[in-house]
Amino acid sequence: MRDLDLAVPEGSVYGLLGPNGAGKSTTIRMILDIIAPDRGEVEIFGSSDVIGARPHIGYLPEERGLYAKMKVAEHLAYLAVLKGVDRRLAMAAARKGLDRVGLGDRADDKVESLSKGMAQKAQMLSCLLHEPRLLILDEPFSGLDPLNVEMFKELIRERRAAGATVLFSTHMIEDAERLCDRVCMIAGSRKVLDGRVADVKAAQGQRDVAVQYEGDGTFLRAPGLVQRVADQGQYAEIRLEEGADAQDLLRRAVEQGVRLSRFEIINPSLRQIFIEKATEVGLSAEDESEDEAGAPR
Amino acid sequence: MNPFSAKTMAVARRELMQRVRTKWFLIGTLGAPILLVGIMILSGLLMASSLNSSDAAERSIGVVGEDDLLEGLLVEELLLDSIVAQAAPDLDGLSGLTLNERFTASDWDYLLFVPRMEAPQEGVTGPVRVDLLARDNVQGGTTRQIGGALDRAVLRGLLSYTDVQEQEARALLRSGTLDVLNVSESGRAQSQDVFQGLSIGIATLFYMILILYGQMIVRAVLEEKQSNIVEVIVSSLRPAELMMGKIVGVGGVGLVQMAIWAALLGAGVLTMAGLGLFEQMRQAGVDLAAMDLPWFDLGISLVMLVLGYLLYAGMFAGAGATVSTEADAGQVMLPIIMLIVLPFMAIQGVIVNPGATWAVVMSLIPFFSPLVMTARLLLSEVPAWEWVVALVLLVGGVAGMAWLAGRIFRVGILMKGQKANLPEVVRWIRHG
Repeated sequence: MRDLDLAVPEGSVYGLLGPNGAGKSTTIRMILDIIAPDRGEVEIFGSSDVIGARPHIGYLPEERGLYAKMKVAEHLAYLAVLKGVDRRLAMAAARKGLDRVGLGDRADDKVESLSKGMAQKAQMLSCLLHEPRLLILDEPFSGLDPLNVEMFKELIRERRAAGATVLFSTHMIEDAERLCDRVCMIAGSRKVLDGRVADVKAAQGQRDVAVQYEGDGTFLRAPGLVQRVADQGQYAEIRLEEGADAQDLLRRAVEQGVRLSRFEIINPSLRQIFIEKATEVGLSAEDESEDEAGAPR
Repeated sequence: MNPFSAKTMAVARRELMQRVRTKWFLIGTLGAPILLVGIMILSGLLMASSLNSSDAAERSIGVVGEDDLLEGLLVEELLLDSIVAQAAPDLDGLSGLTLNERFTASDWDYLLFVPRMEAPQEGVTGPVRVDLLARDNVQGGTTRQIGGALDRAVLRGLLSYTDVQEQEARALLRSGTLDVLNVSESGRAQSQDVFQGLSIGIATLFYMILILYGQMIVRAVLEEKQSNIVEVIVSSLRPAELMMGKIVGVGGVGLVQMAIWAALLGAGVLTMAGLGLFEQMRQAGVDLAAMDLPWFDLGISLVMLVLGYLLYAGMFAGAGATVSTEADAGQVMLPIIMLIVLPFMAIQGVIVNPGATWAVVMSLIPFFSPLVMTARLLLSEVPAWEWVVALVLLVGGVAGMAWLAGRIFRVGILMKGQKANLPEVVRWIRHG
């Protein structure tokens, strides 16, 4: 990672976006002090005492695992104890959590006897039982079956409602678009975009217009207003010049007597924005569209 | 950093509970001593029966040797116990292997080889070592009967020197200059020295503890990597706490195991007492209660074992962190195991000469001191400064190893896949 400057406001849901290999996991590991940055510093809850903040952080790494030989409830309790929770409270929380996700009857079975889906549920619980104020999730939904994705989102929402901050990384931009207040895009080990989702869209957006028309199409080629256009005779998609107002385009069409049956400002998806940004830094976005082909929606 | 933080203890507790609850632990802990106690009771029974019976009177016993006077006295004394021993002219003048071979081909059941008895000089005399050659195991009673006759014969022989008073000769006898050695057909001596047995036994125990529990630590470290869980763990605690927790936890398994064994040993002793075996042995002249065990030396040994465990545990943990597969683990463990095997092999030599310069040096080096110093303490008088220096060096070694292993562990525990090569590890240590 180079010169990454990241601020996650408390209480927000923050998405760290980027194609595979962009440095998302590395960033997260540096935040957690698992690996040390060559330079720079990390502050959590406004303090540079990252170690001291650890009991209040719930972390789910991309590569997930549990001790195969341990009993499920004991395992979850052990992880909570490492976060400073009292052993007895941890055990109670583990059983309660397992009941919540429908694994109550498997609490005293060994982890190795669980099915893949069940193990995923146990892993979700493992980062939540100690009621962290900050949840750091690395690709939380990758590999989960659709039901578990919904359950996990539900659990995250609950934690959020309790006032926790959520930072998660994903290469599935649609997830981020639906869940996040704020996003940071990383590509080629650099930050390319950072801010509130609405702002990001506003900054990038309002520049694409779809027009359905009858008549003279010359208004579409207004210099200083339109950057490029894909005109199909009756339907056109227009990219406005930066800073141009769609209202001006509409006025010109009316002035020229063109009949419009549709004039729509298209909000770009984060996906489009991302692809554009990634391409700007000379990075193809092919990888992550492939990755997404089989991903749950 | 406090190495015994609550988190360290939580890790240690998990390691302990996970291991103690396994089938393997139950089988290993209960099976081995049950077998051992079984053998002890069985051999105790056999010993008791053989201690009380002697077949010396029914056997043909030959006498050869270099000392006519002592030979004659021995034959006389044996006769007093109704044991007939005769000069064996067919084997006279032979010694060593030739004697052994000719004896096994002869008609004699037992053969006594009497060496020349040196005249005592200024009240000092070397041990008179009479070999009792036999084809089969000699019953305890037989050895004891012949040994008794030999005692008396040697005493009379010593008295025949004009300048030795009876008082003095008895004193010589009591100080243990007389050493009966019974030799079986293979020529192997059955040592009667309790301390040699004790030091070999304890060295073997230490050796096995270091290797078994060291391997357990490597497995415990590998478990972190193979479960894919290590990242979650090190996001909750420091790698050093994880390492320390594992070392303490596995050590705890050892303590639990030894506590169980001690309890079983106690039960075994009580069983033997209940069967009246000790009484039988005492009557036969083997009084375990009167045996003077060097408790202080054993105490030092125990401290050295604990420190030695910590030293090697650090090495095993550091080595375990550099690999991700069982096969690679075997490779990195090999040199460490060699370091444990070396002093174990050396024990044989230490027994022969506990004061040799090389033995003294080895007993001071941290990697070897737990085994070698223990053997020396049990076998000879060790100047206090020597074991104090050994302990100080060992404590220093443990601290140094903890630092070194901690730095390797910190980086290594996050590594996956290929095993790290030496330059990489050196880089971890430098930049840790």
